[in-house]
Amino acid sequence: MKGFLNRLRGVERDIIQQPVEDEAGAPYYEAQENEVEIFEAAYKKRLPVMLKGPTGCGKTRFLEYMAWRLKRPLVTVSCHEDLTSSDLVGRFLLEGEATVWQDGPLTRAVKAGAICYLDEIVEARTDSTVIIHPLTDHRRQLPLEKKGQEIEAHEDFMLVISYNPGYQTVLKDLKPSTKQRFIGINFDYPREEIERKIIQNEVPELDTTQVEKLVATGRRARTLKDHGLEEATSTRALVYAGNMMVAGIEPVEACKAALVNPVTDDPELAEALMEIIKAHFAV
Amino acid sequence: MTQPEILAAIQQELADLEQISFVAHRDTREALGAIQSQGDEIALEWVRACKALFQHDRDAGKAFIRGSRAVLDASGEVLAWTNQALSFLQWRGSWKALDGFMGQLPAAYHILGSTGEARWAELGIAWCGRHLESGAAYFRCPVVELAATHGIAGVEELVLPAEDLFSQRRLALATYLPGAIRVRNLLGVEAVQPWAKRGADILQAGRLRGEAFFKLESEESMAMLLENLPGFRTPEHQRLLQLILYAWFGENFDLLDGNWSPDKGRAFVETDGASLYLPIALPSREEAILALLHAAGHLVFFSFERRYIEALFHEVGREHPPLDADKRITWRPLFAAFGEDMIRFQLIFDLCEDLRVDTRINARVPNYLTRLLAAAEAATLPAGAAAAYFELARQTLRWIASDAPQQVEMESWRPLLNESATIVDAFRIANLLYADTNLPPMTLAEREHAYLPGRSPNAARPVYPRRELDHAEFGTGTEDQDDAVKNTEIKPNPEKREIPKQAAGEDPDFDIPPEETTGSGGRVGVGIPQPAHVTGHARGAEYSEKGKPYAEWDYRDGRYKRNWAWVQEKELTELDANEATRLLTQYAPALKRLKRAIQTQKPARMAPLRRQFDGDELDLEAAIGYIAEKRAGMSPKANIYRQRVMQHRDTAVTLLADISTSIMQSSEGGGRVVDHIRAGMLLFAESMEEVGDPYSLAGFASKYRDNVSYYSIKGFDQRLTPHARAVLGGLSGRLATRMGAAIRHAVKGFDRAPSQRRLLLILSDGRPADYDDGGDERYLHEDTRMAVKEAVDAGVHPFCITLDAAGSQYLPQIFGPGHYVVLDHINDLPKKLPEIYLRLRK
Repeated sequence: MKGFLNRLRGVERDIIQQPVEDEAGAPYYEAQENEVEIFEAAYKKRLPVMLKGPTGCGKTRFLEYMAWRLKRPLVTVSCHEDLTSSDLVGRFLLEGEATVWQDGPLTRAVKAGAICYLDEIVEARTDSTVIIHPLTDHRRQLPLEKKGQEIEAHEDFMLVISYNPGYQTVLKDLKPSTKQRFIGINFDYPREEIERKIIQNEVPELDTTQVEKLVATGRRARTLKDHGLEEATSTRALVYAGNMMVAGIEPVEACKAALVNPVTDDPELAEALMEIIKAHFAV
Repeated sequence: MTQPEILAAIQQELADLEQISFVAHRDTREALGAIQSQGDEIALEWVRACKALFQHDRDAGKAFIRGSRAVLDASGEVLAWTNQALSFLQWRGSWKALDGFMGQLPAAYHILGSTGEARWAELGIAWCGRHLESGAAYFRCPVVELAATHGIAGVEELVLPAEDLFSQRRLALATYLPGAIRVRNLLGVEAVQPWAKRGADILQAGRLRGEAFFKLESEESMAMLLENLPGFRTPEHQRLLQLILYAWFGENFDLLDGNWSPDKGRAFVETDGASLYLPIALPSREEAILALLHAAGHLVFFSFERRYIEALFHEVGREHPPLDADKRITWRPLFAAFGEDMIRFQLIFDLCEDLRVDTRINARVPNYLTRLLAAAEAATLPAGAAAAYFELARQTLRWIASDAPQQVEMESWRPLLNESATIVDAFRIANLLYADTNLPPMTLAEREHAYLPGRSPNAARPVYPRRELDHAEFGTGTEDQDDAVKNTEIKPNPEKREIPKQAAGEDPDFDIPPEETTGSGGRVGVGIPQPAHVTGHARGAEYSEKGKPYAEWDYRDGRYKRNWAWVQEKELTELDANEATRLLTQYAPALKRLKRAIQTQKPARMAPLRRQFDGDELDLEAAIGYIAEKRAGMSPKANIYRQRVMQHRDTAVTLLADISTSIMQSSEGGGRVVDHIRAGMLLFAESMEEVGDPYSLAGFASKYRDNVSYYSIKGFDQRLTPHARAVLGGLSGRLATRMGAAIRHAVKGFDRAPSQRRLLLILSDGRPADYDDGGDERYLHEDTRMAVKEAVDAGVHPFCITLDAAGSQYLPQIFGPGHYVVLDHINDLPKKLPEIYLRLRK
């Protein structure tokens, strides 16, 4: 019954996601380098972490995996242009004739000792990014200005931000004073054999030769990144392409839909990408 | 008339002729015998014609009489052509035409038959009526060439369109025909008409240029022809090809124009070891891509690696020849040992090397061999000796495309498939294969047909030896001292050679390339230093000298002329800092007012503005927060409004000034026009500094389509320096106004502008015009209109500010209503210019 209702209206879940305990529920993640060890060390010392890397290379997935591994709840906030500090920290609401304070996601994470993940932090306005400063140094405090309070962070609380140095303009970079408070982990698109593994795992129905071709195509397409492609072909896009193929779309068309159309409007670039795809798939 | 009477009449006519000319009489008598075989009556007609023509014009008569015998032999009749010849009596001085007519008649009967001949003569005689010279040219043109292989239809397809060209553009047949025939031979009849139309236009602009065009001697004529070549046109896909190469090989290759034209035979992609040379068109897209990959493969897989080349020469026991002045090497001595049979060996060698390279490419580019093979299978086998080579190439390709199974006859090729094989192995194997080949000998003319689609002669050009491998990878013991010299030094890329923009004669050395100071010596290996080379460079260099080509719209044909207007970026060298200072002082009060006005409407930030203290709407979220906080006993700020302001997007602007000669005239407002333009641009620049929007300043002038000068005064990323101010102070007028090309170039310049909204302000004092528009005002108007349209499509808003009081007559058509302003009082210009911008950017 519950399953049926969920399918009907989606699943309502609290923003603080309790970790799944069993092995089966583990998010799939394939380590590229030593990022798991670095993250664990940072967590041990409760240092804030910054994940850097292009879109679709697995930052978010990595964090889901780490949260599961460390058995900590995860609070994810996707940052956007209009995200104000009260969106993070909390605000007063009217309820009847009284006002009540409602904690924002960051406050809740601080109190619950969760891992708080601010995704694409540069998108948020700079005034909202500075409120995380006291959380990121030895103080580990969150000031609630409106309430006139300061919250000492739960001892298991950890702050993680992600940040894609690629597509923002210079104007939208993080402040240096913010940046230098973090342990940085660089991500890039995975190595060829790892990428194959990932795609095979994400799209188990796809046969091995197709996976190989897909990965080769993706790697080739990435060479065009500096030639007008703002975002290179991501592993996620490859997974999408694989899914499209499995769903019965011709490989060339699937790649066009997943790898070419979304990333460029430049006809010549699109043609060059198609050339790569056809070389691999159209025989 | 009875028979004797006829004979008597003939004798009478002959006697009359004798009275006039001894020679004519003698010639007529000679031919008469043959003519009389057709009947006496006919002979009489003919003799009468002889006399009439001779009396009309001695030369015409002679030509007729002397030509008759041969014509009779060809036609077997007399009356038809005699009557045709008599039509020439209508015109004085028609002997040239008649001479040609008689000369071509036998051929006409032979090729066109008698009905065809009649039509041929009819067309020519009509031309004589239009323009005698054209008629003469027509009849003098060999019928074989006129008809090509299409009989009378061939004549008509060539000559009928010329009638319109003559009546509309006064294009004479003598000018048109020889070129038109060649064009038809090269590109087919469809190409003739656009080519001739363009030629007629050029002829109107200048006789010499026009004639050179029709003789196919001028570059523009060839360019025009190439424009109409069928197939996959490489210049239009340059970027795509570059991207493809980059994707597969991770290298940026220089793609240069290979200077190929259809009369040079088959189109090949060639390489000189440093760059790839593309023909302007290849038969198909697939073939173009394969050819490109193949040629790049040669570069990437070391066909031209220096040490391998040395080893090759070592192999034949020769020192390789000294490099030429450009430090290139020629392969010729390698093949010298084969003497007459050189081509046969060359082809076998190419076959081996191509096989090796294609195998390597296939490892990089999936399915490359499959595609190559598909193209080869689809191709038709060439005729003659080339067929054997072509088939062999196809066979080897099939073999490697099917993963090289064990086959006795193929085993000698196998070493080439090895990853460590080099061009030296290819050479050795070629030698072995050559030793017991039964391939037929080849001529140079046939050679080009021996190559599969996508492949090309490898030693087509002298090559720049590449140096990519280091000692570790290759050790033949021939390493020498100059290894330290960097690879870049032996890759002189003609296109990248710096040529100073302003070639106005200030610097006499401007076309001398930088001197060699690296001391590498002139040769690879043992070195004899070569002197610095000072003469002009190979093809490709012309691009940077001629600037950047843009298409131009020809309203008469309703199409673009590709690469028509050439824009060169130059710098203005007349500086006048004093004048700039003087103007700034003079306009100081105006500037002050402007700056104040600007400050009041400075762009604040990206809208919509939230959390304002006042505004038109409530910021709901802020309001709830406000009330809630107030209830909670706090005293929040009442910033609960949202302002719906017009979005002040950042705008980039280019002020493009027409600095043609006319601005040097004095204006009715006192002073010269140029003084006001200087002040206007200065004030504009100063105001823009205050506004803070990115802006650039430029001027343009032109003389002919290939000489449009674009003077960049300040770029988007540059500051307003004292130098830029001095340039504005020293602004002066020159030449004419080819506005379309300048607009196109300015629009390109916005690529460097950081902003979303792009505004192109054009400051002009008159209509677009140039020296070569043949007095056709509408031509450049229409082109400018198209340039404006292209600009809008590219996201740039052009706006014209004109000082020409008559501007409202033509500007609405060019820029569209509301996109221009006519300044009635020139004195207003300095003040108005910044104001107009501020109004526009709102």
